[in-house]
Amino acid sequence: MSERSSSRLQLHDLHLAQGRRTVLEHVDGDIKPGAITALIGANGAGKSTLIQAIMGELRPISGKVVCTVDKARRAWLPQQLALDLTFPMSVEELVMTGSWPSHGAMKGYCAAHYRKGREIMARLGISHLAHRPLGELSGGQRQRALIGRTLMQEAELLLLDEPFANVDSDTVDILIRILRQMADEGVTIIIVLHDMDHLRRLADEVLMLNGGHGRWVAPSALNHQHAPAQVVPFTLGGRHAGTA
Amino acid sequence: MLALLDAWFIAPFDYGFMRRAVVGGLALSLAAPPLGVFLVLRGMSLIGDAMAHAILPGVALGFLLAGFSLPVMSVGGVLFGVLVALLAGAVSKMGGQREDAAMASFFIISLAAGVMLISMGGSSVDLTHVLFGSILAINSTALLLIASISTLIVITLAIIFRALVVECLDPLFLRGQSSRSGWVHSVFLGLLVLNLTAGFQTLGTLMAVGLMMLPATAARFWSKRLEGLIGIAVVLAMLASTGGLLLSFHLDTPSGPSIILLAGVAYLLSALFGRYHSLAAKLRRKTTPLALEQSH
Repeated sequence: MSERSSSRLQLHDLHLAQGRRTVLEHVDGDIKPGAITALIGANGAGKSTLIQAIMGELRPISGKVVCTVDKARRAWLPQQLALDLTFPMSVEELVMTGSWPSHGAMKGYCAAHYRKGREIMARLGISHLAHRPLGELSGGQRQRALIGRTLMQEAELLLLDEPFANVDSDTVDILIRILRQMADEGVTIIIVLHDMDHLRRLADEVLMLNGGHGRWVAPSALNHQHAPAQVVPFTLGGRHAGTA
Repeated sequence: MLALLDAWFIAPFDYGFMRRAVVGGLALSLAAPPLGVFLVLRGMSLIGDAMAHAILPGVALGFLLAGFSLPVMSVGGVLFGVLVALLAGAVSKMGGQREDAAMASFFIISLAAGVMLISMGGSSVDLTHVLFGSILAINSTALLLIASISTLIVITLAIIFRALVVECLDPLFLRGQSSRSGWVHSVFLGLLVLNLTAGFQTLGTLMAVGLMMLPATAARFWSKRLEGLIGIAVVLAMLASTGGLLLSFHLDTPSGPSIILLAGVAYLLSALFGRYHSLAAKLRRKTTPLALEQSH
């Protein structure tokens, strides 16, 4: 693990539970900065639970999460969005709320910030939706707008829980490109994935959750797999090829 | 014609009590509707009603201690409102019950306790006065108190506006951004209690919530923008409070219910003829859906 001493997110012998039910035990790892780490596993394997713990929403039974990324620079797009889509807000306003780390609750947005917001929307191909209410967006458009908010936030740690579910292929292509750019800029990205194609295109590291344990596997070990996406976690062996 | 307009709209304000009443009503109309808009957007429309009942025992205790003194009754109302909000929050956290369920339990207890307390120490007239208010009996001290509370609410709302919007839209995001995000909800509940306390003198504890909620729910039929919702709600509340007072003056009807009923008429008309989601909008949509879609 020595080569990863600069990592800004470390998991130390994590034991996580939902209520009284243990979900994960002995999960270790250093999440590589500037890399995209994929979390894979069957439904109920503990992917969302691990993300909750990393975001500080779930207290570990034992072990710890060490994260040196400032809280305001962490972004989380959970599977079940807390986002109220009936709220009267436009796409541009949503993207602009990502200015919170620099502007907080009081400081007014200046022209340069609005310009930055517009550039981000252009990058994501949603400029034409700037004034559209959130409630009138498709799943893919909404996901792009949310990624826009994380770009505005200048997130240094980004956690995405199945971001490509119910999303059109154009959006998937754009998001994969943007996530790769973010990683290249040094953002630490953890992403829950089910689809083998997405995994191949995105993952630099893979943490596989199975049977209550985490196991690091090399993405190359997944390349020859042709099994259906949902079955992937069970078809892999116990190779410890990742960070440890 | 001019004489008729003067008799209906100007002459009533020759009386000092009407001038004080209209200023009190306008001050409340500036502060209450924005709170109502946020309550509606947060899906907490009934919380306002619950809080209105929650302040009653405090108001009643103030009445028992100091007679019909608005400052003492207001302090009692604020203290009790905050106490009930805290208790409801604690019970919901302890038992995993939703906050609205705990609040519903506490507010009905509060209503019974308040009515009991007032009945023990006063007459049925006093009870009616507290429950339904008497805007025409506002004196200068009460007016000053109402105006001060309304000003405080508007300024505080301006300060917490962005945090409140982000909390309504995506509480998880705000929690991630600030470890003190919980204060937004607490401050908002505090403003709610303050507003209801200011409103009970003019409209009564049971009616005060009307000026908060009805303009806000009516505005939903006219705008899809937050600024629009707040602006329209404030204008509707101002029209209802002033119009209701004039109706009360000319027709000799009770002032509080006149104001709230007028706001109710605005709500019903909005539901029928409003720009969005109204009956008329639905009928229009059936004939020209594409044009309507494009106009969005």
